[in-house]
Amino acid sequence: MKSKYALRFVALGYLALLLGIPVALVFINAFQDGIGTAWNAVTTPEAQHAFWLTFIMVAVAVPLNTVFGVLCALAVVRQRFRGRALLNAMVDLPFAVSPVVVGLALLLVYGRRDGWIGPWLSEHGVQIIFSTPGMILATIFVSLPFVVREVIPVLREIGTEQEQAAATLGANGLQTFFRVTLPAIRWGVAYGVVLTIARALGEFGAVSVVSGKLSGRTETATLYVESRFQRFDETGAYAASVVLALLAFATLLAMNLIKPKEAQG
Amino acid sequence: MSIVVESVSKRFGDFVALNDVSLNVRDGSLTALLGPSGGGKSTLLRVIAGLEQPDSGRVLIGGEDATAKPPQRRDVGFVFQHYAAFKHMTVAKNVAFGLAIRKRPKDEIEERVNELLALVHLDGFAHRYPSQLSGGQRQRMALARALAVQPRVLLLDEPFGALDATVRKELRAWLRRLHDEVHVTTVFVTHDQEEAMEVAEQIVVLNHGDIEQVGSPRDLYEKPANEFVMRFVGPVSELSGRWIRPHDVEILTEPAGGTSEAQIDRIVHLGFEVRVELSLGDGESTWVQTTRAKVEELELAEGQIVWLRLEAEPVSV
Repeated sequence: MKSKYALRFVALGYLALLLGIPVALVFINAFQDGIGTAWNAVTTPEAQHAFWLTFIMVAVAVPLNTVFGVLCALAVVRQRFRGRALLNAMVDLPFAVSPVVVGLALLLVYGRRDGWIGPWLSEHGVQIIFSTPGMILATIFVSLPFVVREVIPVLREIGTEQEQAAATLGANGLQTFFRVTLPAIRWGVAYGVVLTIARALGEFGAVSVVSGKLSGRTETATLYVESRFQRFDETGAYAASVVLALLAFATLLAMNLIKPKEAQG
Repeated sequence: MSIVVESVSKRFGDFVALNDVSLNVRDGSLTALLGPSGGGKSTLLRVIAGLEQPDSGRVLIGGEDATAKPPQRRDVGFVFQHYAAFKHMTVAKNVAFGLAIRKRPKDEIEERVNELLALVHLDGFAHRYPSQLSGGQRQRMALARALAVQPRVLLLDEPFGALDATVRKELRAWLRRLHDEVHVTTVFVTHDQEEAMEVAEQIVVLNHGDIEQVGSPRDLYEKPANEFVMRFVGPVSELSGRWIRPHDVEILTEPAGGTSEAQIDRIVHLGFEVRVELSLGDGESTWVQTTRAKVEELELAEGQIVWLRLEAEPVSV
């Protein structure tokens, strides 16, 4: 009996020390000068623009990575081709590579002066680095694996019989996908989407390198928190952090609300 | 619709699943593909359905070459061993799937679904989910789903293989009756000879990718083409170097012409049937299938010396 409580104590204590207390302190610090001050700090034009930019990152990266993630998982699980193992391994690259390296890699490709295709793009009036497209690319890169990784095991588990049954009943490939496969993997996709949103909301390193950190122009919410903090505007930094944390909580909560009882575990 | 399989071969890597197999299935018949696992019977069924592409050979359904057609254009109903129920749909939606794909009007779909649920005795289960059904109910739902689109042929892959013995027996009898009602050309795969004998009009015995014999249950039992078929479709015993059916041997308590002397080792009572195990003079052993009444009449006992005689026209190979 005692070991049972010891296990709970260790698990809860670990979470409290490393997660609960620090996050709680962020909330306390944000509101120490009152709710009004905190509110004002996150409604300045710079702050609003930063949140808007973060919203754009999420709005572009999440749908793209969802569609790509499902297609990629289908290719890995349902097809046999040369390079399948390589594709499977490549998907994990964003997990393994530090976001800073991702940022630098994007500079090497799209840098305006000496990038690989950056100068050519620049001549044609397309600016990637120090602008929104580059930041979107960085966000897509770092949040790419989540949907793929969540969907692959679910696809393996459901097997191919339901799809074959649909085929014998007259469904073509698209009908089978939308009526049978997608509903069967929907919770895997949903969980992948939630993780992708959380990752895209919180991305700092890669975006930081390619953004140029121009306040009010290329500053996302996380970059805004950093710049406020470096300018000794602690209330501004903590208040913006609270908004980011609340957005992440809301995402997780939304998933738990839409998830049916039997899928929870 | 008739099904014709012409010289179909299929390999999976080094494994030969089907080796130049040809077969005719008559329109409206009920055929069993029987054989041990790995014998090629499921592969043959899947080739007919279009779920596997043969390496060579042709498949004709209703006289029309279907080899190049994808499964969705073959008009076949397919029932899987593990049901392949659409778990996120209700029983009614499962059954309606093929009709919904064909964009039939709503009231027609509803009517047809109700009709089919009644046929498979699942009326009242329309709004349940597959997870709320027993194995036997799920398989009947799968059957209704396959029949909903009025397929030209119905293919069942070990349909009762995942069910327990009692439900299996029930569903066998029920499939037989269903076929009498619906009359769709039906082919089912089984590794259970009793199931094949009980349900099918025609049995195709497959082993190592080859067809060993095609015939009625009685043909197979009484005129097996070879030792494999003989052993697979019924019990066998050996007497004087011949493979025989153990019920084709008569036990006598006195010697007579053409008999062999033997000693009873063991008498096993299996209800009505009794299995008598014997040793022959030359160190060989055999067994005889007889009845409880016979054993009592002859007052047989373990250790007793008896004489064995083959019946007039024994089945043997």
